[in-house]
Amino acid sequence: MNTQRAPSSEFRLLATPLVIFLLVFLGFPAIVNLIYSISDVSFETLRRPKITGLSNFVAVWNDSAFWQATWFSLRFGALTALLECGLGLILAIFLSPLIEKRSWLMAILMLPLMVAPALVGLMYRLVLHEFAGPVPYYLWAWFGASLSFLGPTSAFWTLIVVETLQWTPFALLLFYMAYRAIPTEVVEASAMDGARRWSLLWYIELPLMAPTIAVALLIRFIDGFRVFDNVYVLTGSGPGGSTASLSIYIYEAFFKQGAIGKAVAASVILFVVSFAVLYGLNVIASRRKGVLK
Amino acid sequence: MINALRWLVFAIAAVAMNFPIVVTLVTSLKSARELSTNPGLWVQAPTLENYFAVFQVSDRLNIFLYLFNSITVAFIGTTLAVILALPAAYAIARGKLGERTLLPFIVNLRAVPLIIFAIPLYMMFQWLALLDTRLGLGLILSIVNLPLALVILVNAIRDLPAELDEAALMDGASRTQILLRVIAPVCRPAIVTSLIFGFITAWNEFLFGLMLTTSKAVPITVGASFFFAASGGGVQWGVASAVMIVGALPPVLLGLIMYRQISGSMTAGAVKG
Amino acid sequence: MGTISLRKAGKQYGAVEIIKDLDLEIADGEFVVIVGPSGCGKSTLLRMIAGLEQTTSGQILIDGRDVTLASPVERKLAMVFQSYALYPHMTVRQNMGFGLKLAKLSTGTIKAKVDAAADTLKLTPLLDRYPKELSGGQRQRVAIGRAIVREPVGFLFDEPLSNLDAALRVDMRLEIAKLHRTLGATMIYVTHDQVEAMTLADRIVVLKDGRVMQQGTPHELYEKPANLFVAQFIGSPKMNVLPCKRNGDGLLDLSGEGIMELSLTGNAAPLQIGARPEHLSLVAPESGHCRGTVEANEYLGGTTSVFVRNPKLGLINVSAPADSAFRIGETVGIQIDSSRSSLFDHSGAAIARTSVF
Repeated sequence: MNTQRAPSSEFRLLATPLVIFLLVFLGFPAIVNLIYSISDVSFETLRRPKITGLSNFVAVWNDSAFWQATWFSLRFGALTALLECGLGLILAIFLSPLIEKRSWLMAILMLPLMVAPALVGLMYRLVLHEFAGPVPYYLWAWFGASLSFLGPTSAFWTLIVVETLQWTPFALLLFYMAYRAIPTEVVEASAMDGARRWSLLWYIELPLMAPTIAVALLIRFIDGFRVFDNVYVLTGSGPGGSTASLSIYIYEAFFKQGAIGKAVAASVILFVVSFAVLYGLNVIASRRKGVLK
Repeated sequence: MINALRWLVFAIAAVAMNFPIVVTLVTSLKSARELSTNPGLWVQAPTLENYFAVFQVSDRLNIFLYLFNSITVAFIGTTLAVILALPAAYAIARGKLGERTLLPFIVNLRAVPLIIFAIPLYMMFQWLALLDTRLGLGLILSIVNLPLALVILVNAIRDLPAELDEAALMDGASRTQILLRVIAPVCRPAIVTSLIFGFITAWNEFLFGLMLTTSKAVPITVGASFFFAASGGGVQWGVASAVMIVGALPPVLLGLIMYRQISGSMTAGAVKG
Repeated sequence: MGTISLRKAGKQYGAVEIIKDLDLEIADGEFVVIVGPSGCGKSTLLRMIAGLEQTTSGQILIDGRDVTLASPVERKLAMVFQSYALYPHMTVRQNMGFGLKLAKLSTGTIKAKVDAAADTLKLTPLLDRYPKELSGGQRQRVAIGRAIVREPVGFLFDEPLSNLDAALRVDMRLEIAKLHRTLGATMIYVTHDQVEAMTLADRIVVLKDGRVMQQGTPHELYEKPANLFVAQFIGSPKMNVLPCKRNGDGLLDLSGEGIMELSLTGNAAPLQIGARPEHLSLVAPESGHCRGTVEANEYLGGTTSVFVRNPKLGLINVSAPADSAFRIGETVGIQIDSSRSSLFDHSGAAIARTSVF
């Protein structure tokens, strides 16, 4: 019941600044992206790109480093999302009785979310440093051995742990809010029906939290997939390109190799795939809502 | 019994998740001499010498500049995002304008790898002479902040009864007047939350800072990494730790003070968006 | 001045017609109550008059001026909303003066007008408070005050009392009635509560599915409902409707349960007779127009509602003296005051009766 007679032209005017801003700062770059992706261009010929067709895309497609980075991003996103949400869910439910009474506990757990991922990455350079870092120090002291945390075999898993420890609080927070939002009547009703702790959790609480769990998994996957800051400062892309995410691949193609065409073509691929996936998800989500209504 | 277990789990989780921060804080309080002999988690002779060292300005390292840059770009990136998002949010929530186009597009922006836009923006900024300027970085940070600000504000306005607008219409207010004199003041908590959120996000941003600045406009997240490459003789861990603590402090303090608002809208932004 | 006319006004949402070719003439100073079940379009109609909903066909005139396309403020009407819609960040004074401020009146004028309105509504001590510091009734008065200060040509009320508790509702009803007498302004009032409609209105408009079922004074609607819908909608407790037929003698046959001596004109073919509980009385089983067994008694203080079951006529509600006592299962006779009953044909329209008795 909201179709007021007031002219929608005034609404349009109110939305205009945002739209113009987006057109300038995203629309224009998107066009530049498209043009450069099909051009032969270098830092010297920025204003005179030569259209060459799809050769940049072919180059990206045939670049094993691109596929390695894609595989890294997918694995990194999926693993960290699962770990963060799994840990976050367990902690949220298990610690909920404590946090309910003392909300400042949540503040302590949320602290890592406030620190720049780039700084956290730098901090781990200290934490894991073979001479100055406490982790190798204690490992030597207690076990007489340590790991090369950022070496070829363990760098990937080190990064997984770094990312998981910083972002588990996000999942924890979301799940804690969802857990607290379960109406007490529902819990009481199921208790009257004779549900025990585990069946309560399995049949009542988890299903009610399912939408939040899905959203958290999605958000964490996306953030893991596009990871840049902490990986970049911790390992660069090494060792041997083994920890290059797609974001880092594009960054390095552009800044380190000067391969503008390739970097831009990879951007366009990522752009198209991201938006296709996101719109697909939106459509699914709105259909779900439609069914529920 | 079970409660003791809960406390134990909490303690382990808190230490594990905050471990790098704890280590960095401890390290920042150690003298250079102590560092070479004691990498452990305790401090024998706490000292602030690293902090004094951090605030020594040299040709290469100027923490005041980095902090000033971060404050400025975060301010631009935050206020501009809210200034752009508020009227648009009103048009979306009340005018049903772009509910199926503009809103999902901007919300999706939150999920797109930002590197996609970084390269053309780099070139565009080169033409516009915005590279290595605080204004340029601030403009980009406002794009980073837009999605969440828009979602928070659209939700806040949708939660207001439409009768409020209608009463103002009967009182003879135009839509712009309603926005400025009724909606904006009533939505102040949501606006404050978007500002806090935006400030933390902008302060912590790294990628664009790395790409679009080189010296004059370097923010603290990028500037901190300079300390790791300082002077030939390897990293001075005490000083590097102190700079990280200084760089992390503003958003952490803000987050601790406002964590209730933040936790509330983090959920809102995630679930409703 | 404040005459409001609707000429074949209509409202469509896509293919759905909310209001259909509605004609309504409201005189200056008249208190018109629009009443109907939920979803009948009464709020939409009010909002069309206010200018908050676009009128998709027909015309709306205020004081003879076509305002169909005019903005709300150009119509010079004021509205009181169901949720009051007070501006939460403004004091009572600022709330009441907001419209005047937008109209760029001088501070002194605004103050004088707000003070005068506050005085009328006994709001003076509350002027510096915020809405959240007020009770429901006080908020309601502020909402009315906000309407008054603008000196509108007419007031629109959208279920203004439905958020108040029962006792307060009666008080506010009286205050609104008093306000109407004092200001003498045109008022249009939407409600689903027929008691409010009966007590406040100069004229009631009964709406159903976007159409006017009947309009008239409360007395007319109560005594001479134009159709079955109005008959059952107006009046509490509800009117009894009994199936009936015209017999060969031109008399009314209550489905074989009894005969009523109503002489019917021409070829009128009533199928239902409507009789309000207070127009029925309980008599000995052998007398009366029909009979049945007592199924329940509801003691209401002033009267007792006796529910009598007749196998063919259904459950009949009879208003009996408070102290009457009937056993459950007791057989009783029912006497119908035929002079005050209504007859309806197959379409539910009332049948005009020339002679009574």
